[in-house]
Amino acid sequence: MRKWQLLIAVIFLVAALFVPLLALTDYTLQILFRVFLFAALGLAWNLVGGYTGQLSLGHAAYFGVGAYGLALFSKLGISPWASVSLGVGLAVICAAMIGKVSFRLRGPYFALCTIAFAEVLRLVAKNLPNVTGGDVGIQVPQLFPHSTIRCFYWSGVLLTGFALALSAWIERSRFGYYLMAIREDQDTALSVGVNAARCKLWALLISAAITGLGGALYASMFLFIVPDQVLAMDISTEIAIVAMLGGAGTLIGPLVGSVVLESAAEIFKNIFKEAHLLIYGVLIVVVVLFMPEGIVGTISRKLAWFKKAPSAPFATAAPVTAEEESQRTAINQ
Amino acid sequence: MLNWFYIPLQGILNGLLTGALYALIGMGMALIFGVMRIVNFAHGAFLMMGMYATYVVFQATGVSPYYQFPLAGVLLFFVGYATYMGLLRPIRGQVDFMVILLTMGLALILTDAAQLVFGADYHQINIPLLSKNIHIGPQISINAPWLVSFGIAMVLACALYWVVTQTMFGRAARAIAQNPYAAPLMGINVNRVQAIAFGIGSAAAGISGALLLPVFYLFPEVGNQFKLKSFVMVVLGGMGSIQGAAIAGLVLGVVESLTSLYWGNEWALAVDFVLFILVLSLKPSGIFGSQRA
Repeated sequence: MRKWQLLIAVIFLVAALFVPLLALTDYTLQILFRVFLFAALGLAWNLVGGYTGQLSLGHAAYFGVGAYGLALFSKLGISPWASVSLGVGLAVICAAMIGKVSFRLRGPYFALCTIAFAEVLRLVAKNLPNVTGGDVGIQVPQLFPHSTIRCFYWSGVLLTGFALALSAWIERSRFGYYLMAIREDQDTALSVGVNAARCKLWALLISAAITGLGGALYASMFLFIVPDQVLAMDISTEIAIVAMLGGAGTLIGPLVGSVVLESAAEIFKNIFKEAHLLIYGVLIVVVVLFMPEGIVGTISRKLAWFKKAPSAPFATAAPVTAEEESQRTAINQ
Repeated sequence: MLNWFYIPLQGILNGLLTGALYALIGMGMALIFGVMRIVNFAHGAFLMMGMYATYVVFQATGVSPYYQFPLAGVLLFFVGYATYMGLLRPIRGQVDFMVILLTMGLALILTDAAQLVFGADYHQINIPLLSKNIHIGPQISINAPWLVSFGIAMVLACALYWVVTQTMFGRAARAIAQNPYAAPLMGINVNRVQAIAFGIGSAAAGISGALLLPVFYLFPEVGNQFKLKSFVMVVLGGMGSIQGAAIAGLVLGVVESLTSLYWGNEWALAVDFVLFILVLSLKPSGIFGSQRA
């Protein structure tokens, strides 16, 4: 099943690379960029929210720090791509600090704490107009000088591919098993020697790096950012919803989720105009109520029924020798 | 003269007046959290519904929100009850992950529905009481509507406290909060108690919305900031302790008011969150509550 998932995803991504060669409008490509960007963000979120089971609702923090890192460092005269890496570094540092504090908390406390950090960053960015431009916004340099929108699209696909490869590797690595052990039962994981604090932190750092990179791409696409756009809670929730809709803790879930959610949002934008966010709400409620494992999770569970059953489903009881029998009774007495 | 004394005093007074409304919002949230261990992300949307309901009634009849606020309470009680029965009960026992997402989705639906129906414009209502100010001494003045809402919120907060500590419903609710597995064995109808608790908590949000309407402005996303503040209050007060949340509401009001006074209004929410993070990292059981985190 996993092999199939991976194969489908790889074929899909390779096919996606050739899409811009078709004559598509810039607008369509922009939407497709958004699909892949959020797929990558969802995959990054999945490391923390899916495999590790820590509901982060503050990923906008890393997204925004990546975006603002690009803008601010290049304002200092650093070249755009160097600024991107500095921004990503800054996002990782932020993640380290946020993780240190918030991973000590569990369940709803953790979720609330991540929201609080993202909101503090948003408010700081809003209220320091001398540094960040405040609500007026700040200019972001162009990352790709030529045939811009195609390059953004390709970088979105590549970022998704990278995030997917990383997830696939992590999922089968010792580290990945640690993460899943923490999700299933943190106390038990601790008791068998998993350093839960360190594992969770590493998952978050990797996740934040990808998210920061995504934020920088997003910012450079629009050339102009304001705090309420890149640091908003809407970004955090959208990232989480993409992953949950597709299936948190599944390999290609976030990719599927992003394709479904972003295309649904686009369609409903044309029908419902301003209230298109309604579809997000409805999708979340439907997913939670009817397929809590997400699209991919539910489908693969259904398909698992048709897998070849193991050859000896019920182990026959081994005959007990007279010697063993006497030993058992001896113990019982 | 004596400005160093009167300006902060005025700030503290204003903070207490706002804080009473926060307290009511926070108590609703704390009741829901205490009984169900649910972080209700739709709390702000419920408050917004209360505001719009009051606004509609005001536009239709002209009755001041200070007389018709119980309507919003009744409406939101049923909305909360129905939400619990229709959406939350089916997923009871799932990880809190799911509950958070569900209430988030519900909040999005309600907010966007409001936008669809009423548009994204800001609304405000005008009642004669708004222009009245009460002067105490030469320096201190209090805006009359805030004082009225303070009074109503305090009475309701005390009533809520009484319900939770003195009635059979309250005892059942506290029993569920203490041990959700033992409570049904003692003959408590967990579903019904939780549904009523969710209804009462939502009603508190709705009434706060009604009381906020004259002194605030109204738009579909108005609930978001109050939702975030109610998280802060619930954590500050000790998750699930309603008296803790009430005190935290007053404290939050004062802290915000003093922050706006000395640093500017735009920092108030940021200070809330910093306080929130500090409490969560240093004393997760809350400052004012006795319950464990």
